[in-house]
Amino acid sequence: MSAREKEYGFLRANALSLAFGALFLITLAGQAVSGVADFNAQQVADGLEPVSLLDYVTSSSFGVDVMENWQSEYLQFFLYIFATVWLVQRGSSESKKPGEEGPESDREQKIGRHADEDSPTWARIGGLRTAVFARSLGLLMGTLFLLTWAASSVAGWAAYNSEQLGQREDPVSYVGYLGAADFWNRSFQNWQSEMLAVGSMAVFSVYLRQRGSPESKPVGAPHAVTGQTG
Amino acid sequence: MSGARLVFVLYLAVILVGIAYVVALGLMGR
Repeated sequence: MSAREKEYGFLRANALSLAFGALFLITLAGQAVSGVADFNAQQVADGLEPVSLLDYVTSSSFGVDVMENWQSEYLQFFLYIFATVWLVQRGSSESKKPGEEGPESDREQKIGRHADEDSPTWARIGGLRTAVFARSLGLLMGTLFLLTWAASSVAGWAAYNSEQLGQREDPVSYVGYLGAADFWNRSFQNWQSEMLAVGSMAVFSVYLRQRGSPESKPVGAPHAVTGQTG
Repeated sequence: MSGARLVFVLYLAVILVGIAYVVALGLMGR
């Protein structure tokens, strides 16, 4: 850690994650307010009573709308983290250099006896702990995807059934909902946008630059150079 | 690094609480 880094206070040192955490809360509130208005418009059209904001944010209808978006984001990061181990995009800031595909050697990854003095303990220790730590980012994203997808299925099931009852139709079982078009439509409509966005980022960063962003190559870097950030 | 550790735990907590909350809403059939 450089001297310049040390004099950063908590807010500046964590500005990126704190800013996005705050934006998350603001946009979640925006979803709740616009969501209840949309929900109530549908209620009135169906000849049902409108609900309060509190009723709405404690409904599975709100829950599934939140969770179906969360699950697709974690799927996106999970796939991107694993796909970029094995697949390259020549010229992309998001990619490793062609020829570096795969998990790489212990020396390159600073694992076990190749670990530095300040490497995390679990990188140095070897065995199962190092094996887990070496995959921990992907494992967490994959686990969060499965949990959020499961949560979206449970809330989606309850929301679907309350809609069915409102229209005087039969409710379905949980397993029945897992085969329902509603569940898969919610899943696929979120997944398709994530796949397009990730692919766009990989290939747009070959020819375009954002000065100062680590998501971009340096402005003057040649288009053919892969895996450089600045 | 302790500041980043706090944000890390905060993020994980918000995510897990959010998941548990939505599962609970679904299971209660709300």
